[in-house]
Order: sequence, then structure tokens, then C-alpha cells
Amino acid sequence: MPERMRLEQVDFHWPGSDRALAEISGTIQEGVWLAVIGPNGAGKTTLLRLLAGLEQPKHGQILVGGQSLSAYSSRERSTLIALMPQAIGPLFDLKVHTVVEMGRIGRYRFWDHLMRLQPSHRHAVEEALWATDTLDLADRNFTELSGGESRRVLLAMVLAQETPILLLDEPTVYLDPGHASDLLNRVESLVREQKKTVVMAYHDLSTVALYCDEIWAMDRGRVVMSGTASEVVLDPRMKELYALDFLSLTHPTRQRPVLLLP
Amino acid sequence: MTGLKRKDPARLPGERPKSASAWILWLVALVVSMALGLVHGSTVITMPQVWHAVLHPASGIIAVIIWEIRFPRIVAAALVGGGLAVAGAVMQALLQNPLADPYIVGASAGAGLGAIGAETVAPQMALMAPGAFIGALIAVFFAWSLSRGRGRSPMLTLLLAGYALSVLFSAVSTYLMLQNQTSLSTIFAWELGGIHGMVWAKVRVATVIMAVSGLILVPQIKTMNALLLGQDVAHGVGVPVRLSQALLLLSASLFTAAAVYLSGLIGFVGLVIPHLVRRLSGPEHERLIPFSFLAGATFMVLADTLAEHLPPLGIVPVGLITAFLGGPYFLYVLARQQGRRFF
Repeated sequence: MPERMRLEQVDFHWPGSDRALAEISGTIQEGVWLAVIGPNGAGKTTLLRLLAGLEQPKHGQILVGGQSLSAYSSRERSTLIALMPQAIGPLFDLKVHTVVEMGRIGRYRFWDHLMRLQPSHRHAVEEALWATDTLDLADRNFTELSGGESRRVLLAMVLAQETPILLLDEPTVYLDPGHASDLLNRVESLVREQKKTVVMAYHDLSTVALYCDEIWAMDRGRVVMSGTASEVVLDPRMKELYALDFLSLTHPTRQRPVLLLP
Repeated sequence: MTGLKRKDPARLPGERPKSASAWILWLVALVVSMALGLVHGSTVITMPQVWHAVLHPASGIIAVIIWEIRFPRIVAAALVGGGLAVAGAVMQALLQNPLADPYIVGASAGAGLGAIGAETVAPQMALMAPGAFIGALIAVFFAWSLSRGRGRSPMLTLLLAGYALSVLFSAVSTYLMLQNQTSLSTIFAWELGGIHGMVWAKVRVATVIMAVSGLILVPQIKTMNALLLGQDVAHGVGVPVRLSQALLLLSASLFTAAAVYLSGLIGFVGLVIPHLVRRLSGPEHERLIPFSFLAGATFMVLADTLAEHLPPLGIVPVGLITAFLGGPYFLYVLARQQGRRFF
């Protein structure tokens, strides 16, 4: 499998604070669903922000397609990597289709700002609305949507970017189990059928073990464990990572590990 | 591709359906208001006479009144109203703040200081308008320079820096006004805003400046939609955020400075018109920007006609008219939004 992203000795710290990412290295392959786990404050969101190009590494580099991420322009980067926001609070009542259309803006030319949506953009927007089952919502106001609906619309927005890499930060937070598994199933079909590479920060370990291929476990800015999902979830070091002695079972139908609170 | 069974969509996700008729309505409103402005004025001229003079620009005194007095005034009013409304809409998107107006990051205080400075240094040369233009741009540039750098919320810094600069510049202006009593009434009249005695030369300068800022604005129109989703989201979908913010601020400041150059400080148009247009045709900037221009222009031409033609009150500065009309309307909208009915 070809490699999508490579991290080489990535260091980062926030200005005026010692919270940091330290010496993160690793490769992420095409068509792989990678989960980033770890306790609160471990640096999961920071890592995603770096992968999205929202922050620049202090040392080291992130390579995408053999080229350093910081060497891409905003427009080029937006056709390679999409970061799904957890939530947005637009100031005014934007329509759902306007929000989804924004996934195309990195590809807009001068005239696209004046004219109706061009066919190539319209096609991608429709495709994204279909994939997320949000076509019926297209004319609604974004702010009036329920939690599950707005999450699907944000997924549609990043799908409209048509990128090979998707970054998800806790995509199911605040969703009920039904809407959460619906969203995860959609992501799963993107990974399996379209060979998208997904990097997802997530807290629930059983869910991660059930859906994801690989896990990077982070602690205080470092990746302390990495491997296949089952390996990492069952690693004895998980006990120190979360200061918690999990009980593990095996999922009755999918044969994956399930962790329970002791 | 998606694995879902496809059915034909009832309607393609697209623009609001009434976009074309809204264009026609706003254009008609502007043309009608301009016609009203041409007909009404301190000299009584009938509609047929106006029509004749419009078609025959060299046909005597009425043609001179129409072409050299009323036309430049009306075109200037349209540019001022349109320019301020567009600048207001841009500032509201840029600063993520519904209360933003064209002057919010220091343009008005800078323009005031520029005008008073010019009047103090060279009272005979009538440099108030160019002084105001330059002062407005300098003040915004100052505020913007302070907001650059690696901070997390540059637009908040811009807003606060603009506020602080406004206070400082106003203090200096007041001091200069007190030192320079002779031109006090000239400057006071200018600050109220007015389009009286407009000449084509000034209109031409302002038209060129607004055309340039319009060209800067066009490739950022839908970028403003993305900025409404938040800076990080805009960045994620491929907007070069800092560059776009700088270009939007430049464009809005040029629109504002050109309007100030024509008319002094006219308030409320830039705040109220974008809100009015949003209520009518939504917050998407591909409609908000052009419709704000047309609505602002229409409103300003009507306000200016009223200002020139309110016999019982004498000549009222148009800046007061916009405040008298805009203030109550805005209160009405706010009351409606809170579910109250005072009016």
C-alpha cells in the first residue's frame, strides 16, 4: 500500500506554553483508518491541527506525497487534506448547501465567486450530499439542524473537498449511539470503498477497536504505542496510560476486543 | 461511488430561486430613486424639462442644473450609499460581528483627523476631502499592522486596536478644533456628512477608487461565506485566511475612504443596509454584496433628495437624514427579532 503521510521527528509547542508534541514519527498508509487515542491533554487535537496545516511543526516535517506540507499553498493543501470541524456556529443563517459548497472554495477561480455553481463543483456537492444523506436538508438553515444532522452536513462539506485524506476530531461527540454509529459506518465505507485515508482522534476505545485499522496512543505529547487496533487496545501499558485497569472482552460477532470499566 | 441506490433529486441543491427577480427589483428601485432625485431640487423643474435636458446636455440653464448640479450629486449619493453598505457587509463578515460598520476599525476618526489636519495646515486649499481619504486609510493601516503577527485572534486585536486608535485620533481632532476656532463650523458641517455642491471631478476620482476596490473584492466574495464558518474551517477548505482578511480589509477601507472623500462621515447606512438585505435575501455574500450596493445607493439617493427638498426644515445634512431613517428602522428590526412590537 502506498504511503499517504509521513511524520519525521515532529516537534511543536504552543507559544507561551510548554504543552508540546515531541518527536512524533510515523507513516500513514493509503486506505487506512488510523485512530489517535490518549487521555485528555495528550496532544491529539494538536496533532490533527498540525496534520491539517493549521499549525507548523517547530522542528521536523510532515510529508504528503513526498513534499513537505508547509510547501503546499492553502488551495493545494485543501485538495489533499480535509479537516472535519467538530461544530461550527455561523454568525448568520447560512443555508446547508452554502456550507457544503464551501468545501469547493479551494478550487474556485475568479469567476466562481460571481457565478452560479459550475458543473464540476455542483457534481461534487451533490455527491457529498448523497453520501451523507443530507440532500433533503440542502435548503434548510444550518443553525436549525439537530446535532446528528449538522454533523452529517459537516462531513458532506469535507467530502466535497474530494481529498484522499480526512481528519476527524471526535466526530461523534454529543451524538447518541444511533447517530454515532451511522456516522462511523459512513466513514467506514469511505475508507473501504474509496480508499480514503482517515485519521481520527477518539476517546472511546471499544469503538476504535471495532472500526479502526491502526492506533497511535499518545501521552503528554508523545506517541507511546502504535500498531494494529487490537494490539494497542490489549497492550498492558494501556493501564498506565489511563491509570485504569480495564476489563477486556471479545466482541461476540466481530471478534474484536471490547474494553469495560473495571 | 457511494454505494447508495440513487434516485433523482427533486431539486438540485442550488441558489435561492428568486435571485433574478431580486436583481431586477433593486435595479428598478435605484433607477426610480435617481429619477426622483433629478426631478426634485431647489429649482422647480418639470419632468418633461428634465427629460429634455437629459437628452440634450447643451440646451441652456436647465440642462446645466441637471448635468452639473443634480447628476453629480445623485451619482455621488449612490456611490456613497453603495460603497458604505458594501464596506459594512464586508466588515461584518471579516470581524464576525453583526455590529461592525465601515468605520469600526478607525476609519472615521482617521478621516476626521485627516480633514481637520488639512484644514488647519492649509485652510485656503480645500484639502479636507483628500485629507479625510488619506487619514481614513492610515488609521485602518495602523490598526491592521498591530493585528498582524502570530496571535490567535487577529480580528479581535484589529477591532480593539481600531477602537483605541479611534479614541486617540478623536482626542487629537478635538484639540485641533479647539485651537482652530475659525474653521470649527466648516469642520462640524463636514463631519455631519453631506453631498451638497458635488462636482464631477470628485465623482470621477471616487468612481475609480471604488472600481479598484470592487476588483479586489470580487475574488473574495464567497471567501466571506467561508469566514462565517470560522477561521479554522475557512483555512481547512483552502482559504488563505490571513491574505484574504488583509484583502477584504483593504477593499472595505478603500470603499469607506472613497465615500468619506465624497461626503464626510455619513452614519448608519453601512450598518443598517447589510442587515436589511440579509433579511430579504439571506446572508450569502454572492447576493449580499451586490444587493447591499444597490440598496445602499437607493437609500442614499432618496435620503439626499429628502435632504435637499425639505422646505420646512431648510437644508438638512444628508447624514442627519440617514440617522433619522436608519436609527428607527434598526430599532424596529431589533424589537421584531426579540418578538416585541413597539411600532
